[in-house]
Amino acid sequence: MSTAKEFWRWHEYRHTMPNIAPVSDDIITAGVDVGSVGSKAAVMVNGQAYSWGITRTGSNSPESAKKALDLALKDTALSTRDLRYIVGTGYGRVNVPMANKAITEIACHARGANYIWGSSVRTVLDVGGQDIKAIKIDATGRVVSFLMNDKCAAGTGRGMEVFADLLQVPIEEIGAMSLKVEAEPEPVSCTCVAFAKTEAIGLLRKGWSKEKVLAAYTRAMAVRMANLINRVGLEPALVITGGQSKNVGIVSRIETLLGVKCLPTPNWRDGGLDPMVAGAFGAALLAKALYEKTQQI
Amino acid sequence: MSKNQTVEQRYLPEIQRKEIDELKTTVKGASQKIIADNIARMKKADSHRPDTMKYFDDIANLFGRRQQEIEAEKQKGKKIIGYLCLFAPTELISAADAIPVRVNSGWYDTSKLGDRVVPVEVCPVIRSTIGAKMIELSPFLEQSDALISVLTCDGMTKLSEILSDQKTIWGMNVPRVKDSTQSLRFWSAEIKHMKTQIETFTGNKITRNSLKEAITTSHRATKAFRRLQELRKGNPVIMGQDAMLVNQAYSWDDKKRWTEKTEALCNELEKRVQQKDWVCSPDTPRVMLTGTPMFWPDSWKLPALVEEGNPKGIIVADEQCSGERILNDPIGVDEWSMDDMLNAISERYLMASTCPCFTSKDGNEDRINWLLNKVKEWNIQGVIYYVLRGCMLYAMEYNRVKKALDKINVPVYYLDTEYTREDVGQLKTRVEAFMELLNARIDF
Repeated sequence: MSTAKEFWRWHEYRHTMPNIAPVSDDIITAGVDVGSVGSKAAVMVNGQAYSWGITRTGSNSPESAKKALDLALKDTALSTRDLRYIVGTGYGRVNVPMANKAITEIACHARGANYIWGSSVRTVLDVGGQDIKAIKIDATGRVVSFLMNDKCAAGTGRGMEVFADLLQVPIEEIGAMSLKVEAEPEPVSCTCVAFAKTEAIGLLRKGWSKEKVLAAYTRAMAVRMANLINRVGLEPALVITGGQSKNVGIVSRIETLLGVKCLPTPNWRDGGLDPMVAGAFGAALLAKALYEKTQQI
Repeated sequence: MSKNQTVEQRYLPEIQRKEIDELKTTVKGASQKIIADNIARMKKADSHRPDTMKYFDDIANLFGRRQQEIEAEKQKGKKIIGYLCLFAPTELISAADAIPVRVNSGWYDTSKLGDRVVPVEVCPVIRSTIGAKMIELSPFLEQSDALISVLTCDGMTKLSEILSDQKTIWGMNVPRVKDSTQSLRFWSAEIKHMKTQIETFTGNKITRNSLKEAITTSHRATKAFRRLQELRKGNPVIMGQDAMLVNQAYSWDDKKRWTEKTEALCNELEKRVQQKDWVCSPDTPRVMLTGTPMFWPDSWKLPALVEEGNPKGIIVADEQCSGERILNDPIGVDEWSMDDMLNAISERYLMASTCPCFTSKDGNEDRINWLLNKVKEWNIQGVIYYVLRGCMLYAMEYNRVKKALDKINVPVYYLDTEYTREDVGQLKTRVEAFMELLNARIDF
């Protein structure tokens, strides 16, 4: 039996922070971020990240939400019964059955970015599976203004998956590979997933290397994202959240285009706060605030 | 040559009668369902909606009572004069004993048909109106014996050419510079020419008395309209989507009856103010809409997202030619002589307009002033700047409006969309995030 290698498949994992032992008085909350491509859940103890899990979103949002939350709780001392308040977010936020409240991913990524990188963050670029959002925030992590791309998936994580498959390069290596070019090629003329694929096939036939094709596509995506940031008004410090924050090809090109460095991405492979989970972290923090509000009468 | 042969069409494609009938049946059925769904949703959004809204729900059925009433008048020999733009002087139509009715299309489905005639980059209101004509969907457009088309934006200008294949079209030339005496003189000449055209077409002379009566009818309507908007200044007693429907229904309803019903609605709402009976919590973010016109029924997509979202906002004002701009300004008559009335009409339709077709280069700040005044008087906490893709004039004025609102620290959100229902999920996220932002400024 042979199975085709799924180049688009990214790392699904979970993590528990060491040295946190929840006790019964602790305020334990969770955020569940059901995106179009990935579902993320984070559990917090008194507003501190305790555990999280990332999994692929299936065709059914409620099931994906449950799967992500179960993954985050797996092998921990906690179960869903310990969660005092849950906030659902992301594209499937209205379909998170265990959530007490739904909040948009825009507010959650803002709050999550403030949690991961601290109060100096002013601009957040969230590149999800299906859309891009540029968010301006204040020192407390509140949204000041935001912009979102229109309805197509151009220049988003889903587009990268299509390219991984087309070029037969594992998705997690795409970013580094796109940087292995001597000179940056012209960006592809169109970031529309469907058309860019056609254009890429044409370039490969012309004899372009995979690296060069990836560079051209990644560049085009980065240009789109940089434009969105410029339209909302870039104010440092800048950070990138969502799945594409892990794509070094995107991050370094945005830095070049904008002329600023992003705050460094935490080493998530080694248990650092994962920027792909920013929305779920933000949701769990907002859950804590909302829970506390219910307690004060 | 067969006697059935039609005149060659310069713009519109030849479509077989069978196809027209089939498409019309399908789209009309879908539209009737959307109208019914909209009203059902609006009833749900306000669990004890004012009783008078029943009247407006009835008038909102574009294929119902009002269509039949107009048809009956038409049978008796009355002329129906449609118009595509708010600059059309409807009082002249009424004064010639004809019926004015606005015919811009709010149907999403027909915009796809319009794509056969103009490129998809064109404003969907235009494409959809073309599509509606192609399948004879719009009762009021079909009933119109002539159309007044005011050449404001590029879309309106070209739309009038395309519709001229099947309709008598009277174009009115609007100056792009507002604050100059030569503009007003030019526009006054257009108004006087329109008077003659209407008189010739209807065979009815516009007299001093008939014009005075038409203007007086408009005055009363404006008074009722203003009373309704005053009621939206305080704690919310009416859903924005209901008030928007009332305001827009004026453009196809009988003017006197509309005024009577709007006054009745206001009586009902005033009682609710006394009983402190609000449609939503008074700390719900107060929102104003501006930008591209929103035509009933399909464009109620956005007001529904605002007022039925989680969290939700309440629409308390707008600056749209499909809404408050219809009736906001009375015609200022000094003496009831024919000359003075015609001059007053000219001034009202030109000077009071905040349409972005005018240049602001020569100091015209009317639109900005309207917005700033509304923000202050109606206590607006956030503005949604609505743009249909292809609507260049509104898109291009956004930055200027944003700068003015930034200065007074009122958030504005640019919301671009299309004549489609496919983007509802994405729009929901955008609208809700904006409402969260407004809430966070009030309290989180």
